[in-house]
Amino acid sequence: MTPDPAPSATLRALPPERIAELPFDEALTELQRTVAALEAGGVTLEASIALYERGVALHERCATLLAQAELRVQRLMERAGGALDAVEQATGEDDS
Amino acid sequence: MSGAVRGEPPDWALPAWDATDGRPAAAPRPRDGASAPPSAQSPSAPPPSTASPPAGTFGLRILQVSDVTRAVREAVRGDERLGEVWVEGEVGRVTVSSAGHAYFTLKDERSQLACVFFRDDRLASPFEPRPGFRVVAQGRIDVFEQQGVYQLYVAAVQPAGFGDLALRFEALKAKLAAEGLFDAARKRPLPDRPAVIGVATSPTGAVWHDIQQVLRRRWPLARVLFVPCQVQGDSAPSSIVGALGRLRRFVEERAAAGRADDAPAVVILARGGGSLEDLWPFNDERVVRAVVGMPVPVVCGVGHETDVTLADFAADVRAPTPSAAAELVTPDRAELGLALAALARRQSRLVEAALGATGREVAAERRALDRLRPDAQLAQARERAGLLLDRATRAMSRGLDEARRATDGSRGRLPDLVAAALAGARTRLDRGSDRLPGLALARLASASAALDASAAALAALGPEATLARGYAIVRRRADGGIVRETADAPPGTRLALRLARGDLAATTDAADAPHAAHQLDPPATERREPREPREPHEESR
Repeated sequence: MTPDPAPSATLRALPPERIAELPFDEALTELQRTVAALEAGGVTLEASIALYERGVALHERCATLLAQAELRVQRLMERAGGALDAVEQATGEDDS
Repeated sequence: MSGAVRGEPPDWALPAWDATDGRPAAAPRPRDGASAPPSAQSPSAPPPSTASPPAGTFGLRILQVSDVTRAVREAVRGDERLGEVWVEGEVGRVTVSSAGHAYFTLKDERSQLACVFFRDDRLASPFEPRPGFRVVAQGRIDVFEQQGVYQLYVAAVQPAGFGDLALRFEALKAKLAAEGLFDAARKRPLPDRPAVIGVATSPTGAVWHDIQQVLRRRWPLARVLFVPCQVQGDSAPSSIVGALGRLRRFVEERAAAGRADDAPAVVILARGGGSLEDLWPFNDERVVRAVVGMPVPVVCGVGHETDVTLADFAADVRAPTPSAAAELVTPDRAELGLALAALARRQSRLVEAALGATGREVAAERRALDRLRPDAQLAQARERAGLLLDRATRAMSRGLDEARRATDGSRGRLPDLVAAALAGARTRLDRGSDRLPGLALARLASASAALDASAAALAALGPEATLARGYAIVRRRADGGIVRETADAPPGTRLALRLARGDLAATTDAADAPHAAHQLDPPATERREPREPREPHEESR
């Protein structure tokens, strides 16, 4: 996802409940765009307040992810037919 | 000096070496010195006696220990064969002092040789002598006088047989480099925040564990896709190639399915430290090509910092160790948290600034509105008008009082005062009217009209109004006396006539029949007239 200077079209349309499901990277990119849009100025006060609220939600999403994330460890398995599968492996389990 | 085996300590005494403060320290002989010659300090010296006679007493030259040691040292130093030597042998016990110097023995079937490998040389060496290794050590033989031992001062160590491996390594490296596989232009940047990280390493041992620890600490948002493989032994190259191949296929399949984000964005290829032979699979051409063929960036962390393999050259990023590889592919959660907080602060500041600026504008507009509010305007206008009226009234009554009091009071002062007050009021009104809304202006205008009326009434009491109605004040030019009757101006008298506007000069011809000239009684003030020919009234309105 390449950041572009303008807030994405989805940014304004993104409902708050969608923000709470964004993966970290997207949320962070959107947050950066939001701040950039605020910095660029030229928007009405109402629009900048809307941007700000969106930014707060995005920031919260990022912070939550950062604080609560737990490393997921999977093992890449090759099935008999040659199909590849990522199989969950309990975290902390050491292969020995 | 091979017979310099003294009473050996049961084990090596490192502190004693370190006590020499980094100076060349002797590596004492290991315990298996049974085959060593008997422990004679010097074959030619007399047997140790409890009471050695003073030197020269019996014609013998008694030497000090240091004399002997120095003589041996000079002999050793003088021997060209010992100046620079290459010695092959098996590494015995290795001890590294706290100063970083390594002390070890080299041995073959019959002998041992104490070796010192100083810190700087050791750290610069790509190869570390380890017990059991067959190595070739290069250096010089010298004597460490303090302990009376000779030893090999090592400048460089290579594994024995390295020459062969090294040749193969260099040849393969040159070939692959010629293909451009190691070109800097091939190196891809690592993703900033990989959602999925592929790891190919041994499932056993500390490396996989360490990598997980680092990832868990730094970037637990990631999903790790682990592909176990053998990293040692003859089958290691094909196992590594197989693991990388599975990762590549997975990346490609997911990308084809439009699920690229489900596949690793970066791959770690790792192995713990080991001998050159242990790491050799990572110099395998197939492994190098598998690394190059990976569709996502590869970070190679093999062995220790000093170990360099061809896989390292082929990787997009070479990490000094497996843990370092895990650090290199991940952002730091704590740093990211700080960056996030900074972003949040920035946007808060921006919005506060926007709100602040707008707020200030609103406040300014509000103040402007307040100023223009009709009732406030009216209040102000009333106040101003009231003040003006007060002042006019004061001026007027003062003027009137004065006028009434004075029997020959000043004729012009009163109207002047009134006029001046009015003029000031008008100026202020004019100034104020720019800002006054219509309603207030209208009110003010009526107040002003009232003022004008007052002024008019006031003026009527002065001579102006009378003059304005067509009357004139007639004086003798000679003495300025007012002409009230014909007798005051006999024929030929030169007269000055004051009109409502301007003056006339005249001369009487003859007196007409007398008639009542006193339509209006001019105020007594007319009597005393300043001498100037120009009336001060001319200046006033």
